[in-house]
Amino acid sequence: MLFEVVGEITAVETFASGSGIREIARLRRIYGRGRWRKRKGIAEVRLSNGSTHLAEIHWYEAAGIGRKEFKIKSLL
Amino acid sequence: MTKSRGKQLVICVDNEGYAASLEKRKIYVTLRDPAAEKLDMLRIVDESGEDYLYPKSFFREIALPLAVKRAVLAA
Repeated sequence: MLFEVVGEITAVETFASGSGIREIARLRRIYGRGRWRKRKGIAEVRLSNGSTHLAEIHWYEAAGIGRKEFKIKSLL
Repeated sequence: MTKSRGKQLVICVDNEGYAASLEKRKIYVTLRDPAAEKLDMLRIVDESGEDYLYPKSFFREIALPLAVKRAVLAA
């Protein structure tokens, strides 16, 4: 992850799961089989240049595997 | 060719931490996002089919003949 989530992620919700995730085959191949969900939320992020921004972030999550690949959807 | 205006093609050279979202040596479409570019980031349509901000250093610009670029963007 090339940015850091600072503090708590708010407004967390699941917006896709299982076969509803287009890249599910890649997730299973790379991280293992699990009940994968694609989630989103709002958080303060610190970029590699040290600046901080409020952002909508998305990530993949599965029980027993954890959260993977936090991505910035937009800077708010 | 207004459809491709603002879209550029880049090639992925690094995907550290994003193995499911990006594939090295693959061509991706980047959407114009001046605010992100000021922060050394690119808005990339990744393997999910959605656009996200990624570090510029993960990609290199590629120059293709116009006809090839049009065909890739239309694919």
